Amino acid sequence: MNKWFKSGSPWIWLSAGGVSLSLISVLGLLWLIASRGLSYFWPAQVHQFELMDNQGNASTVIGEIYDRESIPSQQLVHLNLDLDPSEETVERLLIKTGNRELVSLDFRWILVPEITQQSTPEKLVVVERRTNGNFYGFIEAVIQDGKSVSIDTLPSLLTRVLELQDKIETLQKVEIGAINYQLERLRLRERKHKLQETLTLDRAQDIANEVAILQAKYQVLEKRLLALRDETARDQIKLRAMDDQIVTVSFADILKVTNNNQMNSFEKLMMFFSQIAVFVSDDPREANTEGGVFPAIFGTVLMVLLMTVIVSPMGVIAAIYLHEYAGNNALTKLLRIAVINLAGVPSIVYGVFGLGFFVYMVGGSLDQIFYPETLPSPTFGTPGVMWSAITLAILTLPVVIVSTEEGLSRIPAAMRHGSLALGATKVETLWRIILPIASPAIMTGIILAIARAAGEVAPLMLVGVVKMAPNLPLDGNFPFLHLDRKFMHLGFHIYDVGFQSPNVEAARPLVYATALLLVTIIISLNMTAVSIRNKLREKYRMLEH
Amino acid sequence: MISVSPKTILDSTTKIDLNNMSAEQKALDIKNLDLYYGDKQALQDITMSIPKGQVTAFIGPSGCGKSTLLRCINRMNDLVDHCRIEGEINLHGENIYNKHVDVAALRRKVGMVFQRPNPFPKSIYENVVYGLRIMGENNRRVLDEAVETALKSAALWNEVKDRLHDSALGLSGGQQQRLVIARAIAIKPEVLLLDEPTSALDPISTLTIEELINDLKKQFTVVIVTHNMQQAARVSDQTAFMYMGELIEYSDTNTLFTTPVKKKTEDYITGRYG
Repeated sequence: MNKWFKSGSPWIWLSAGGVSLSLISVLGLLWLIASRGLSYFWPAQVHQFELMDNQGNASTVIGEIYDRESIPSQQLVHLNLDLDPSEETVERLLIKTGNRELVSLDFRWILVPEITQQSTPEKLVVVERRTNGNFYGFIEAVIQDGKSVSIDTLPSLLTRVLELQDKIETLQKVEIGAINYQLERLRLRERKHKLQETLTLDRAQDIANEVAILQAKYQVLEKRLLALRDETARDQIKLRAMDDQIVTVSFADILKVTNNNQMNSFEKLMMFFSQIAVFVSDDPREANTEGGVFPAIFGTVLMVLLMTVIVSPMGVIAAIYLHEYAGNNALTKLLRIAVINLAGVPSIVYGVFGLGFFVYMVGGSLDQIFYPETLPSPTFGTPGVMWSAITLAILTLPVVIVSTEEGLSRIPAAMRHGSLALGATKVETLWRIILPIASPAIMTGIILAIARAAGEVAPLMLVGVVKMAPNLPLDGNFPFLHLDRKFMHLGFHIYDVGFQSPNVEAARPLVYATALLLVTIIISLNMTAVSIRNKLREKYRMLEH
Repeated sequence: MISVSPKTILDSTTKIDLNNMSAEQKALDIKNLDLYYGDKQALQDITMSIPKGQVTAFIGPSGCGKSTLLRCINRMNDLVDHCRIEGEINLHGENIYNKHVDVAALRRKVGMVFQRPNPFPKSIYENVVYGLRIMGENNRRVLDEAVETALKSAALWNEVKDRLHDSALGLSGGQQQRLVIARAIAIKPEVLLLDEPTSALDPISTLTIEELINDLKKQFTVVIVTHNMQQAARVSDQTAFMYMGELIEYSDTNTLFTTPVKKKTEDYITGRYG
């Protein structure tokens, strides 16, 4: 035994155990969010249950099975159910029944012992709608322009409506959006002139003319919009719900009609991928519980990139000063300790600091100097993507400083001496020799900064993230990148959907799917940085002396 | 006893009187140089003149201050904390320790090659033109020409002319050291300081570098530090023997190795200590 200890094997086992434990937890976590998240996109079977309760009332429930659990029979005693007394537990199913306009809750529990019959009728359809969630039921009739037509025409009618909807969206977002933006700018120009008392009659006339032109354009567009809207409302579909009610749904409201029970595996797979595509490319609907998360993806990536652009030069410059220029004395040591300790400050504190200093002080002053015409509504004096990026840059600054300094101190003195002996000054040596050789270490710092920043949510809630941002921070209106705008973030989206949504049950798979997406994005941002670093390492690999 | 190879190259036929040189003959004039690291004195009252166009060797046991003296000549000791220098080193009659001297410009005139080859992690070409680029030379034709001249002078051209744009780190140790010499001479310094340039190299590379030193003195004043007495005897015209921070004896190489005046010198070259 003593020999075994001396051989060192216990330490090898211990360290190997530590590695396996972390590996297992990482893989387990990924597997959990991947399996739960991806199942959200898989087209589920739609079941029809015939129920019979203990009073002899029969009912029908149609929907997807969401969850299944066992509960102790004792909990159900007050229901006076006719249960098998030998069984200690009763199984129950959570069914997503949809049809939100007919029932108050679109989820309900049913007890397995009450089920008298279960089937998956092929005619059952799932209608994905813009409002009120899914509808499960049978198609009774398709009505084109007031006349009943064959069900086979449904796909072509749907395609027509979807094309119209696309047109409406571009019209609203791009063309009408641009006009509104220009009108707003004209209003601000007028106000600016008023504030500076330079609003001459000519100028006022010019602005009024432009406004009139824009408004005329707007009228035309609005008419087109209304016409298109009328077009989409031309056709309807009549559906029969589980309680035999007939519901008429306008095509304008329909996104997709699927026959989940008739699909084969390949069709399901295709639908699975198309659902994922919709998820990553669409805007959210219904208080974020449906639709996609594109604005959140965009906001996360944009904010992280902005943060990188800000933190890299700041961190590198600070590290260069600390390592190359600051004297080797107590003050420098104190500074270094302060920098390291910054990394331990809770992130919410950075959020509070960002809100107080950047948003209110700096942003407020910027507004008074550069945007007096928009006051009292703030431009930069309110949380926005720029302040978020700056706050996170400060939060991740220590990481970049520490790893850059480490990289600088690893460079052999011979490199500096070689350059200095050739008549280079210290600055030239830094630029041409030291920084390129230190670049892999700098990239390591940036990688760590990205990893930390992309997962951070708490400070962002104070300095720029919102539940629903009407506009992306990047669009076709000058100056294209709107750093003052608020944005959506995947981390916050998870929190919002999981804990703040009116329908937590419906949102749970969405939480996993969003988490999976966030992890994927962080991993891919990191991989990009890692591959850049490896290229640099290869380039500046030092010869082992 | 050390065998001294006969000096074949003595183009300046008349022997130089080291104690009585004219201003044109002097490349460097060191006067009463003292150097302290903190409280410790590392060089004591060094006075010597180094002649132009010749090879001068500094020899002595480890820690005798020969490398320190060499580093004084292009002010590399400025990089050492708590290093204090008194006395003068005159280049063209001007003290290089004057306040207004541009150190970078000085180092362009006094190039230096270190003990271990230290090529930059760049291509062979970029290594050679580094000093020229620092001086703001970016004309491709000028640079190309300088690379060829420098590499030919450093006897490296034939080995690397087909892979000028490969990484310098792929060269062997001896090639790297010649590359570093090429890098130093590409900016056409007046004086070239070699700090034990062959101590990290194998015998064949050492031989190549020694032959190179013989060629280099046609264009530059060469000052070499070596712990290898045979090498000093082979390559140098003058030799200075240093001991414990003092200059013990300085004369032409033949005299120093055959008929040393001082007892310490004799003890050292006969291998009694060191």
